[in-house]
Amino acid sequence: MKRFFYGLFPLLLLTSAFGQDWIRTGTGLGVEKVRIAVPDFKAASQDPKNTELLKAFNDTLWNDLDNAGIFDLVSKSFYPLGPVGAPTDVKFDTWSSPPPNAAMLAFGNLGVSGNSMSVQGWLYDVKNVTSPQVLGKQYSDAATTEAARITAHKFADEIIFRLGGGIPGIAESKIYFVSTRTGHKEIWAMDYDGANQHALTHLGSISLSPRVSPDGSRVAFSSLTKSGWEILMYSLELDRLVTFPRFGGTNLSPAWSPDGTRIAFSSSRSGDPEIYVVDASGTNPKRITSFKGPDVSPTWNRKTGAQISWVSGRTGLPQIDIMEADGTNAQQVTDQGYAVSPSWSPNGQFLVFSWIRHYGPGAPGAQDIYLMDIASKQWVQLTHDGGRNDFPYWSPDNRHIIFQSSRSGGMQIWTMLADGTNQKALTTSGSNTQPNWSWK
Amino acid sequence: MQASAEIFFEHERWGRNLAWSAGLHVAVVGAIILYAAFASGGRGQGWGSGGGGEAMGVTLVTTVPLPAPQTQTQNVLANESKGVSQSKPKPEVTEPEAIPIPEKNAKKKPKHETSASKRKPEPEPVEEANNVVPFGQGGPVSGPYGTFSAGGAKGGFGFTGGGGDFGTRFGWYVDTVRRKVSDNWLKYEIDPRIGEARRVYLVFDITRDGHPSHIEVEQSSGVPSLDQSAVRALQRIDTFGPLPSDYSGNKVSVEFWFDYKR
Repeated sequence: MKRFFYGLFPLLLLTSAFGQDWIRTGTGLGVEKVRIAVPDFKAASQDPKNTELLKAFNDTLWNDLDNAGIFDLVSKSFYPLGPVGAPTDVKFDTWSSPPPNAAMLAFGNLGVSGNSMSVQGWLYDVKNVTSPQVLGKQYSDAATTEAARITAHKFADEIIFRLGGGIPGIAESKIYFVSTRTGHKEIWAMDYDGANQHALTHLGSISLSPRVSPDGSRVAFSSLTKSGWEILMYSLELDRLVTFPRFGGTNLSPAWSPDGTRIAFSSSRSGDPEIYVVDASGTNPKRITSFKGPDVSPTWNRKTGAQISWVSGRTGLPQIDIMEADGTNAQQVTDQGYAVSPSWSPNGQFLVFSWIRHYGPGAPGAQDIYLMDIASKQWVQLTHDGGRNDFPYWSPDNRHIIFQSSRSGGMQIWTMLADGTNQKALTTSGSNTQPNWSWK
Repeated sequence: MQASAEIFFEHERWGRNLAWSAGLHVAVVGAIILYAAFASGGRGQGWGSGGGGEAMGVTLVTTVPLPAPQTQTQNVLANESKGVSQSKPKPEVTEPEAIPIPEKNAKKKPKHETSASKRKPEPEPVEEANNVVPFGQGGPVSGPYGTFSAGGAKGGFGFTGGGGDFGTRFGWYVDTVRRKVSDNWLKYEIDPRIGEARRVYLVFDITRDGHPSHIEVEQSSGVPSLDQSAVRALQRIDTFGPLPSDYSGNKVSVEFWFDYKR
């Protein structure tokens, strides 16, 4: 009997060691999704440009709905034959019964005449024959591929807004990040789906942690200047740097309050890095932490603006803490390993952060993205696929998380749904880090 | 010979050095062990003393209240069969039989209303299995009803408003409401000692802009934490999205029930 237990013991150790890190169940997998069919839009004119624009439109619309995280897109191979370009073309029972078995149908047409393009789009509830129309939209714009993409984004966002419970879609949102593609770490911007990547700054220095303002007009970031690390401000409306006060010391990781009136950042102007809050113009600095050890990476409660989460080194290794926005009631929410880069969800319920849960010599040391429900302090691991995963940031719709990962070799920017599924790389060239999602 | 004596002499001196060396090694190892045992404790106190906060326990969970996994349930009443049980009334009953519409008061069991005066003595009904649908209560669900289930818990609702046809005209909106409420119902808020509870009914209005308002417990489950979790599910929702533009009313009223079974 004793020997049996001795035999069993290492086995138990093994199962508990391997069983702990791999939890893929129950994190909102298999959320009931709307089954939607999206047949290609029909060409409404014979213009030679039509084919090219139609393809850009159809691809973009499909990707936007696929990325939204609330739809189950019916595979095109199940669709009945014949194009659907107008309401009269819809045969309800062929769409609502198997094989498509769709609940919703998005269809329409795109026509080009001269230099202008017009798009008509509908969303039908095909199980409701008597009053099927949920949405009917008409767009006109210049006949360019870019305009076709934007129109598709707009139509996708309308559909997501209606069927996603009043949460605006993110197809028109932007992502700001740091890229080394020009030889220096500069601030870059791209569309939410990775298209249209372009550099914003050309400072020839090192620029880090871009944070766009809630109104989308300015990007705050930290950069190595002649006087050390300072917060700089880039105006997206003027396409140039605008003045922002220098504080002295090392100033890092700016974060906008949700109403856009204040910026929190870490500054070592008084010695130890501490969290400061200034007005959006950089005036009126207030120090809100005074702990031994570094305090960095603030992030505001994006729903209320009344709390700040940050990374504190006061107990040794960096841990995630939460306090009121005036610095009171500080509370540590992680108590092991090495936890950094918190980002607060738009609905105020969740924190997402990067965590090396077993840190130190001999520990596995995987760095992964974790999500924590703030009220209950329960957490769940979102990435498992190797590499170092860091700098998670929420999308404005509360359904997506963007982060940087080294799993494919170099550092690249990845996106996933907030339950950890549907992970995709958005960038491929150079080293791309520290992503930040626009507020709308 | 002289040479070998030299060698012997040197060997003896080297042996003493070896003893010194071994002694020093032991001393260094001993010092490291002592340092690890005592010095680290002192350092920990010094580093931790600056903190004014309080550490919270963190537990590993398999579920986090993200959109809960859920499956569409098959409503036992939502089929074409009229029911197969022996409770079928005799044809002697001449009064037209009213099939109760399970609307707002679906929680009360609909009863057959046949006038007692005209009823003739009937044979004793055969004992039914619990899951047999009584005659007249089968058939398609009438009215804007729906159900959901999530991890053993279930919910359902009815819409009233406008001409009473909101649910049939805007089924997609009803589905959105159902998804959104079930996504926001966090079952860990319910007292873990509760295994099963009576159904809790909430009523609320959805305003024109999609905001839930006037959230009230219409009928309590008797379990305060379950009632509270249902109310909080609604309070957590900012908007369901604006009411459909074709809809003329200013608001719709919703009755939403939550069944809880662990």
